[in-house]
Amino acid sequence: MKVGVVTFPGTNCDQDVVKMSQAHGYKVVPLWHKDHFDVKSVDMVIVPGGFSYGDYLRCGALAARSAVMTSVKELAKTGKPVLGICNGFQILCETGMLPGVLVRNDHGRFTDKWTEIETVNSTQHFAKSDKKKLKLPVAHGEGRFFAEKSELDKIESQGQVWFRYTENINGSLNNIAGVMNKEKNVAALMPHPERAMFDWMGGSDGFKFI
Amino acid sequence: MAERTLTEKLKHYRISQNEYERISGLLGRPPQGLEWALFSALWSEHCSYKSSKVHLRKFSYRNGMTRDDSDENAGVVDIGFGEKIVFKMESHNHPSFIEPYQGAATGVGGILRDIFTMGARPIALADYLCFGDENAPRMKSLVKGVVAGISGYGNCVGVPTITGYTEYDENYNKNILVNAMAVGLIEGQMNLASSKAEGIGNLVVYVGAKTGKDGVHGAAMASESFDQDIDSKKPNIQIGDPFLEKLLIESCLEVLSKNLVVCMQDMGAAGLTSSTFEMASKGKVGMDLHLDKVPQRDSSITPEEILLSESQERMVLVCVPKNLEAIQAVFKKWDLDAAPVGTITDTKKMRLFWKGDVVTEIDPTLITDSAPRYERPFTEYQSKRKRAKVEAVSNQNQKQLLDSLKQNAFYKNKNWIYEQYDQRVGTRTVKDASQTLSVVRLNSHRDLAISVGCRPSFMRMDTRIGAIDAIMYPALQQAIKGFKPIAVTDCLNFANPERVEVMTDFVTTCDLYAQIAQKLDAPIISGNVSFYNETEGKGISPTPAVGLVGLKENDERVPDCVFTETGLDVYLVQMPGVISYAKTAEVLKKEMSFSGDLTVNYLADFVGAMTAFVAKTKPQVSRVVGQGGLALTLDKMKSAGYECSMQVDANHMFSSTSFLFEERLYDFVFAVDSKTRGPFEKELDALVKKWNLISHVLGSSRKGYS
Amino acid sequence: MKWGIKILPREVLLDTQGRAVQDYLNQTAQTVNQCRIGKYIVLDLKQTDSAESKKKAIEITEQTLINPLIETYTIESL
Repeated sequence: MKVGVVTFPGTNCDQDVVKMSQAHGYKVVPLWHKDHFDVKSVDMVIVPGGFSYGDYLRCGALAARSAVMTSVKELAKTGKPVLGICNGFQILCETGMLPGVLVRNDHGRFTDKWTEIETVNSTQHFAKSDKKKLKLPVAHGEGRFFAEKSELDKIESQGQVWFRYTENINGSLNNIAGVMNKEKNVAALMPHPERAMFDWMGGSDGFKFI
Repeated sequence: MAERTLTEKLKHYRISQNEYERISGLLGRPPQGLEWALFSALWSEHCSYKSSKVHLRKFSYRNGMTRDDSDENAGVVDIGFGEKIVFKMESHNHPSFIEPYQGAATGVGGILRDIFTMGARPIALADYLCFGDENAPRMKSLVKGVVAGISGYGNCVGVPTITGYTEYDENYNKNILVNAMAVGLIEGQMNLASSKAEGIGNLVVYVGAKTGKDGVHGAAMASESFDQDIDSKKPNIQIGDPFLEKLLIESCLEVLSKNLVVCMQDMGAAGLTSSTFEMASKGKVGMDLHLDKVPQRDSSITPEEILLSESQERMVLVCVPKNLEAIQAVFKKWDLDAAPVGTITDTKKMRLFWKGDVVTEIDPTLITDSAPRYERPFTEYQSKRKRAKVEAVSNQNQKQLLDSLKQNAFYKNKNWIYEQYDQRVGTRTVKDASQTLSVVRLNSHRDLAISVGCRPSFMRMDTRIGAIDAIMYPALQQAIKGFKPIAVTDCLNFANPERVEVMTDFVTTCDLYAQIAQKLDAPIISGNVSFYNETEGKGISPTPAVGLVGLKENDERVPDCVFTETGLDVYLVQMPGVISYAKTAEVLKKEMSFSGDLTVNYLADFVGAMTAFVAKTKPQVSRVVGQGGLALTLDKMKSAGYECSMQVDANHMFSSTSFLFEERLYDFVFAVDSKTRGPFEKELDALVKKWNLISHVLGSSRKGYS
Repeated sequence: MKWGIKILPREVLLDTQGRAVQDYLNQTAQTVNQCRIGKYIVLDLKQTDSAESKKKAIEITEQTLINPLIETYTIESL
């Protein structure tokens, strides 16, 4: 398995995602934001967390228009899996590959804490653990999932809700913590599975994520 | 414009009459042109340590893991297995009071640059904050702003903030303290980078953000007390850009790892001046510097402003000419400027050029090494309070007293602060800021503990006891989790050193720190002094903050700090030391009182014994009793939903309920399961005998009702 | 009465957001001289008297909405 890991200049979880991929014996292919890549060169892409281009305008807004994301879109069309984590989730929404958008937490602050999320619909590509409830940490200032009512209803009825928080930590509509595209090969979540790989990190529910 | 009078110039450049005469003597003539600005910046207290240097020399103890690198940006500890730890703590008090968000943010940025300029990747941040009474003017917004600033900057650069200390006391109403500590790691093929300029003909390259007018005269400002009109200091604000810092970290570490660089220095206080002058001075070389070639954000900027600008996220490096292209390629990849601005010469003179003309030529050592050294007057330390039998501080019952203490900002749960910090980025965090000891895991499968120390109420109670506690308390917190403290950094925050009582506290602290470092075998490898924390003649109480790093040579489980299961036997172990009401008394607005004393030698040896004891007995839970005494500590230990059910006889240990709130230096709580109990008790007996301790069985853990 | 308050970072200070966006835009097209990013706040005040209302809007802006050390503002009636 060859995992492409996208790095924007402000990405700061790329090395953590590399470590996670290597823990499974996968080969990592670094994907630089300025470059297009051959979609045949990787089997899966992860868009990790961080602050892409500083995230000053809107989280992920500029990143969504980058060269690397053009290739990621192409790759997704071939049916290969794409996983977004945290800022990666924001970027995938800004590209339109995922529905909805992530806005400022309702309490207005960055929040770092352990959360519990519940699987609503599963995908064959990610989160292969049998556990229905997972304990994973979040770390974000803009993680409140938002969509217009009609779109939200569609996301729900089409089975695109991946995870819900069991306790709403940021004002996300319908407690949504992660969503998928209709084809279920593009999926993203705000919590960080790569930060919950081993018990010493405080939990290992993220280990079977990829 | 009329030429300024000498008096006006001295005032503008914050140079005293005596210093003016000293400068004139060194130069053989009065200073002229840019020289004024150069001396103003580098002879400021902030840059020259002129009031403290004679005492900081006492921190010279080194051991096999450390070396004399007091010249460098931060200290280094070689912990073996190809791993080196670099760390330092620094203050950003004045800027944070003026603009809390930017002040705190740029404080974090500055301390990070001190770390990665040495070739170390920053892996953790800690902060030490002192705020005023929460109801003091502006205080709520100061607290909010500082926390948001640390969070905004640290989170974005991708360095976890994993621990801290937050004080609230009226002593800081008009002078808050914002100290940040950064820890970096050098591993693999990476070499330690120097800040000494070498190689005649080598190029001086400016990298990072463009220069603007931010923070001109900042260094001189940080060396002054506040007057009422903080608005008059307007132009000094520096704006931090964490995104740019992230680019700078990656690009600097990349050029260092590719061995493209001779030396590197960050631009901190007094910006380009202090970095280039110090590089040249340390390397005993000259330097030609073309100020007009410095990338500028603002075309109206003057040479003097370029020299003194404190624009953030900038570095200067020296390279052999053939490496310039490769260096520029790396910085271009990260979309940063890398502009050659000068060359190393054999003249031993700094020559500053503006559009081809020499504007100043001066021996850099005159400015970096010849600053005055003041032996500010001090006296022998006399305790401000008499030792006396400690009487009950309140006749309220235990529950009422506990509740009233917990109303105070100091004792309230501070998770709202730590939850704003990314504590896990980098996936090294073993124990986060919710714990009494924060721990990160190294690739060598060993654990590193990071603590900050100095409990200001003990300093206010008695400077000697407070200073010993400042290092010993975090050292014991590490030992009780099985860690050995390996090195110390400090950030010595004091009021005006020209006042005898302030200087006396400062010298007393330095003497004790020097002694403790040696006895504990934990050298003081870096540090910072912040004087003049004073507004309208009222200074802060002495606050010599400490950062302590400890090592555990394995990745075995670290004992918890709260009760996490039912059926554990709970022990209280007491050391003969100090019994006091310090913070408890302050919060209740009562007189402080204390009896007893602390002994450096005994404590230093005991820290070692405690590390060994915990490594051997592996208790499930361990904790040093903190401020607010056993009552507050047991209350905090309930947070996972389990509590200690006290055995009846435990109440007999104390003659009054308020004695549960006594702050004893030091008491310890352990909890062990039935399997561990036998061997634990056997070892505990030996420990108690050897160190003259008292131990009690307090009770056992059970599911809490709350 | 409604007031629109336009807030920009002070010209002499670094505008981190503006710079980041400007640099990004100039990666593809070198056409942006400067990009500055601020805030626009709409205040609806209870006061109906124009002068009094404006005074109040300025007071709120200067005391709460901006930090004069790092920001400037202009105010317009809506």
